[in-house]
Amino acid sequence: MLKGKVSLDVTNLDNFEYDMSKCIKCKGCYWVDHIYMPGVNFSTRCPSATRYIFDSYGAYGKMRIGLALLEGRMEFTDELLKTLYACPLCGACDVGCKRNLDLEIELTLEALRIKAVQDGKGPMPAHKKVAKKITEKHNRFGSPHANRNKWLTKDIKVAAKADVLYFVGCSAAYVNPEIARATAKILNAAGTPFMLMPDEWCCGNMLYSVGMIDEARELARRNLEAVRKTGAKTLLVSCAEGYRTWKVDYPKMLDISTDDLGFKVVHLTELVDELIKQEALKLTKPVDMRLTYHDSCSLSRLSEPWTPWKGERGKWGMVSPGLERRRGSGGVYQQPRDIINAIPGVELVEMVRMKENAFCCGAGRGTQEAFPDFAAWAAEQRLFEAKTVGAEAIVATCPWCKDNFARVARQNGEDLKIYDISELILASIEG
Amino acid sequence: MTVKSKLREIVGTDNFSDDPDVLNKYSKDFSLVPAGVPNYVVKPKTVEEVQKIIQLANKNRLPVVPTSSSVHFNGAAIPKQGGIIADLTRMNRILEIDEFNRRVRMEVGVTWEKATRELAKKGFRLMMPLAPHPMRSAVIDHLEREVITNTVYDYGEPLQSMEVVWPTGEIFRTGSASVAGYPDSPSKGANPSGPGLDFYRLLQGAQGTMGIVTWANLKIEYMTTVDRVLFAPVDDLDYTIDFLHRILKLRIGQECLLLDNTDLAALAAENWPDDFEELRATLPPWTLILVLSGMARRPEEKLKYEENMLKDIIKNEFSEIQLDNNLPGFPGIGRKLLPLLRQPWPKKTPYWKNRYLGGCQSIFFITRPGMAPQFADMVEEVAAQYGYPVDDIGGYIQPIEHNRACQMQFDIFYDPDSEVDVELVRSLYRDAISVLASQGALFTRPYGELADLVYESATGYATALRRVKKVFDPNNIMNPGTLCY
Amino acid sequence: MAISKEAYKVLEAIVGDEYISSDPVVCEGYRSGPGGYEAGLGYERVMTKVPGCVILPLTTEEVQKIVKVCNRYKVPYVPYSTGWYGPRSHCHVDDELLIDLKRMDDFEIDEKHLYAVVGSGVIYSQLQEEAMKRGCYIIVGGGGSQCSAIANMLGDGWSPLSYRIGLPHRRILGTELVLPDGELVKMGSLALQDDPFWGDGLGSDLRGLLRGFTGLRGCLGIVTKMAIKLLPFQPERLTPTGISPHTTLQLPSNRVKWINFTMPSKESMKKAMFEMARAEIGAGATKVPIFWRAIAKASCKEEYWDIWSKESEETIKDFHLLRVLLVGFGSEEQMEYEERVLNDIITEIGGEARRTRPTDESWFKNADSAGMWLMCGGYVSVDYVIETLEHALPHGENYAELKKKFTPPLMPDYGDPGWFQSFELGHQGYSEFLVYWDPDENTDGVDHFYLETSKENIRKRFYTSLLGPHQPLYLTGPAYGPNYHKWMLAVKDEFDPNFLSHPPVPLAHDEFVEKAEWMRPMKDWKSPKLP
Repeated sequence: MLKGKVSLDVTNLDNFEYDMSKCIKCKGCYWVDHIYMPGVNFSTRCPSATRYIFDSYGAYGKMRIGLALLEGRMEFTDELLKTLYACPLCGACDVGCKRNLDLEIELTLEALRIKAVQDGKGPMPAHKKVAKKITEKHNRFGSPHANRNKWLTKDIKVAAKADVLYFVGCSAAYVNPEIARATAKILNAAGTPFMLMPDEWCCGNMLYSVGMIDEARELARRNLEAVRKTGAKTLLVSCAEGYRTWKVDYPKMLDISTDDLGFKVVHLTELVDELIKQEALKLTKPVDMRLTYHDSCSLSRLSEPWTPWKGERGKWGMVSPGLERRRGSGGVYQQPRDIINAIPGVELVEMVRMKENAFCCGAGRGTQEAFPDFAAWAAEQRLFEAKTVGAEAIVATCPWCKDNFARVARQNGEDLKIYDISELILASIEG
Repeated sequence: MTVKSKLREIVGTDNFSDDPDVLNKYSKDFSLVPAGVPNYVVKPKTVEEVQKIIQLANKNRLPVVPTSSSVHFNGAAIPKQGGIIADLTRMNRILEIDEFNRRVRMEVGVTWEKATRELAKKGFRLMMPLAPHPMRSAVIDHLEREVITNTVYDYGEPLQSMEVVWPTGEIFRTGSASVAGYPDSPSKGANPSGPGLDFYRLLQGAQGTMGIVTWANLKIEYMTTVDRVLFAPVDDLDYTIDFLHRILKLRIGQECLLLDNTDLAALAAENWPDDFEELRATLPPWTLILVLSGMARRPEEKLKYEENMLKDIIKNEFSEIQLDNNLPGFPGIGRKLLPLLRQPWPKKTPYWKNRYLGGCQSIFFITRPGMAPQFADMVEEVAAQYGYPVDDIGGYIQPIEHNRACQMQFDIFYDPDSEVDVELVRSLYRDAISVLASQGALFTRPYGELADLVYESATGYATALRRVKKVFDPNNIMNPGTLCY
Repeated sequence: MAISKEAYKVLEAIVGDEYISSDPVVCEGYRSGPGGYEAGLGYERVMTKVPGCVILPLTTEEVQKIVKVCNRYKVPYVPYSTGWYGPRSHCHVDDELLIDLKRMDDFEIDEKHLYAVVGSGVIYSQLQEEAMKRGCYIIVGGGGSQCSAIANMLGDGWSPLSYRIGLPHRRILGTELVLPDGELVKMGSLALQDDPFWGDGLGSDLRGLLRGFTGLRGCLGIVTKMAIKLLPFQPERLTPTGISPHTTLQLPSNRVKWINFTMPSKESMKKAMFEMARAEIGAGATKVPIFWRAIAKASCKEEYWDIWSKESEETIKDFHLLRVLLVGFGSEEQMEYEERVLNDIITEIGGEARRTRPTDESWFKNADSAGMWLMCGGYVSVDYVIETLEHALPHGENYAELKKKFTPPLMPDYGDPGWFQSFELGHQGYSEFLVYWDPDENTDGVDHFYLETSKENIRKRFYTSLLGPHQPLYLTGPAYGPNYHKWMLAVKDEFDPNFLSHPPVPLAHDEFVEKAEWMRPMKDWKSPKLP
């Protein structure tokens, strides 16, 4: 809808007709912010467009393709689906565009995927397989649901009831137990009691991300009610993807605001940073390492809280009521860095592309499942960048990032060590 | 009507000649380019006359060779295939001096002497090559890309828009002078580019093969209010060139150049030949000349900060440079040189290139400054093979654009009345340019036989040039036999 | 839409199957509009097409082969670096090959000799950063950092920093041009050696074929490599700071400084520029259009309009802001000197310095040029002219008057007479007139205004950058030169007799006027039947 009633509801692609039709092809969605442009190397932040090169794979291409779909000039084909899905929805394009303009690129991309599913053409076959696992086993791996808490060790104290609920997530529960354990131990060491979900199910990140909004919404409703029932005041996550899903996508799907969830969604790094500054947690054991920090997309540029909006668009494209757009500036950028700098012995070297300019690891939001080669390629780019700045290790705040980096590092015989920040924090507590 | 009578009708009988003595004067110049006799000489006064001459030439397939100066050093105006000399020295008006926009519009027949004199009355100066002959056309010297001695202006290239008569006979204005009714327009002709194509580029360096330029707009600068001429004796050219890389990026100074003892002596000597011989013998091998100047406001403060910059750099990075107000052993040389750098060569004095032996064949090319010492060695080696005294070679290095490049010039002096000398220098020249070109010297102004050497190695460029030439000059009447045509 | 199978197979063999596609989805991604520079207007709607095929070469040799194949199989093609310039850089005919040059991103830099060699895929912010790391800088053209450096050097290349550095034409050094028949011309020193450091031609300078004033949109060949002159800068770092959307370069105030001055009148701004030029100080001197300040202050479109709607003809008339850039190229002392001289000048003329942020996001890295679309979603510069200051001021004023007849649909700017600045230390002046409109309303008036400015230029004898491919060639041709169009078309005919290189440019706007029924009444000039 170019003029008239419009909202940020992603289930109706019509809401983004204006955005798709006003892309100016400046490719601010592709390049690192020109202020931060490092030169001829590491100059882009869109993994899809960098990998697949044709304009169709950048947001500038996708906006045009999306408009063609909306206007009935184009139909879903394999190539179109690949264009939409070979993309980690990392938000670099959204933030890049919003440096200068008011276009909702990320929401448009989400809406396009939802349309693909609505039209019975999407998502990718690999996604459907995972969706089935989620439905049947409540986790994306298809592992036995009963094993979800197997990561717990005897030395971890879990409260029956607490203000903080630690939502572990599928990855940490099943394939990265070190993250779950480290997180739990950090909470114990900080004297912060926490409880777990009585029956934790997948947050539905992938379902929402690939456009299966009905399934995702159903899961969201179930999960939200389950959390509210616990009386938790804070939902703590150690997974960036989970963080974004809870904090942003749940409210989005349910047409409420983040504030309306009834509890705060907090990432481990936000909590630990606060605890350190309050001196409730001390990181005393040295960790002698030269490392670099990878800004996981869903913790950084995609993580600002959600407020639903609907209104009208009129002359000059102005909307009313006014709308404060999510431009990525309020993401969790500094806290992980402050934590790392608080660890004795650590030397933090920044990669060339950092904060809102970070280059996505390539794994998230359905990409790893459907385009493993692409995800591996993106990780390779990032690991190379880490090595260029002389890092011995790379630290992320998301098991998806960690897994992807670790897999690629292993395959390529890399020396570079891959950590989740929880492991680093714990090492500085325990030694 | 015959061609002759038509030409007489166009320019008037007083401005036409086919007298053998007159024709002979146009058949040669100070270069070694072989003589070529024209059939006619005409001296038009207006662009309409020029147009008619060209139209006539086209009709009769007669070559037209334009010339705007009464003095030539490169052979470009020597007819290779006969034809009509269009001598534009009568088109010598200064049409406008635009003080607000610092622009002069003048006809091609305006000499350096006239231009400098008239501009000085209004407090302006024109960027100049080194001591140009006073009777050379200022416009044409810029059109032919003579390298200027001033290195400080980032925007360089004084040439702006022009009026040209195409080889097909159309009158055309380039750049922003192309507006209808120019100069009666808000457009002043300050933009050289367009319309449509960059015609001015096709005309630059063209040696009259792409059309006849009748007037041009050129940028002028204010005269300086205070000057300090600095000198440094140079033993180590590499070291000095590194120094120039350092300081010229700072945008200080006005003129900056390097002259070897022979060229500097030829320029600076007053009482000839004694002064020349003495200077040549006693001047350092090379001399760096740098002029610092103050402009309209707070000129002394400007000099001060520039001097401070130089002092710091010399103290901390280039301690062997002895930059001073004077050259040790040569009192007063600054006073002598500044006018030489700001004025054309004095009219009454034999031209500095001709003073020594009468003749001078210059070899000039563009190169990276760091290559200059090697090229100097190469020329000396070639000279030695011919038994040509190395001391008789004049050397001049002109830094360009913050010293990112330079023009190197070697002046080979000889006696033009000695056939032996002439042949020796001709052969020396041939060998030298061949050696230099093979080692990367960039000859962007291929006069005379240099053109064959250059275009044989740049066949792709030559082919494209010929295609463009075909568009503008389908009958190949403009100075044929020049460049690659 | 596709090109012939035979042609496709041969092209595929040149680049590999990964770098060519005629898939409709891929090709749709290369549609020009509806958003972008000059997009959404009639020209874009009528003249542009989605390519029939897209190819991505890596080397000059591949480009040559592709062009030769196009000649063999009569496939029209258009070179494309980023597509940022809008419809005029996109396909105009059916079954056209779009040659996307983004893979050609080779880069070398020689800071001692002050040049960088780039391929068409290198953009300005990359080049600027590499230059600045080495104590140099370039002009980032007004189109912004996202411009391909080569493409912008061929069609634009100026900004307020042109005050000192001047015309882009002479910053083009050794260059490779693939002619429309596939032959390669190396220009400058590349003609003779494998070193691109120098730009002058051998004798006559074939750079004359590269751009004219504002470019040929690729209708006379494809530039695949260019050495671009760098200029010496100062040694301190301009530090990137802030988080999007508020990113900016922190300026080292002892060496780089913008100062805004409120001036009593437009004439006084002109005088200040004149005096600065006479004193040979400064690195930039420009008038600031008031609505740009509104864009800079606004955090969104709605806030912009909130600010802008408070302005009026009165406030515009009285708003005279001069923005001056000082750079201590050589030393702090030099900068201090220039600041003293500047203050002398401003005091004499009656201006007043305002508090100015020690930051820049507009000109060194030009990261905010996309902000031109914030206000309305539609933008084009209907003219941008380098001439003199004496040309610049009346030029803008004239347009402002003319524009009133076309407002609406143009955005109300309360008579703002456009933007002007001083170039080449006062030897030149620059004026630009930008217009904005709501692309989702009837835009015929914008198309009319665009053409009307060309007629106004002719009537009033203004020079203009919008010649050649930008306006009807048979309208502007007779008026400038005169008959520059004759030479353009003759050169075009010599090098591209089959009109395969970006057809129908340079006659595209002529064709647009013929094709668009709302434009036909504006045609009051003669032209032959278009090919």
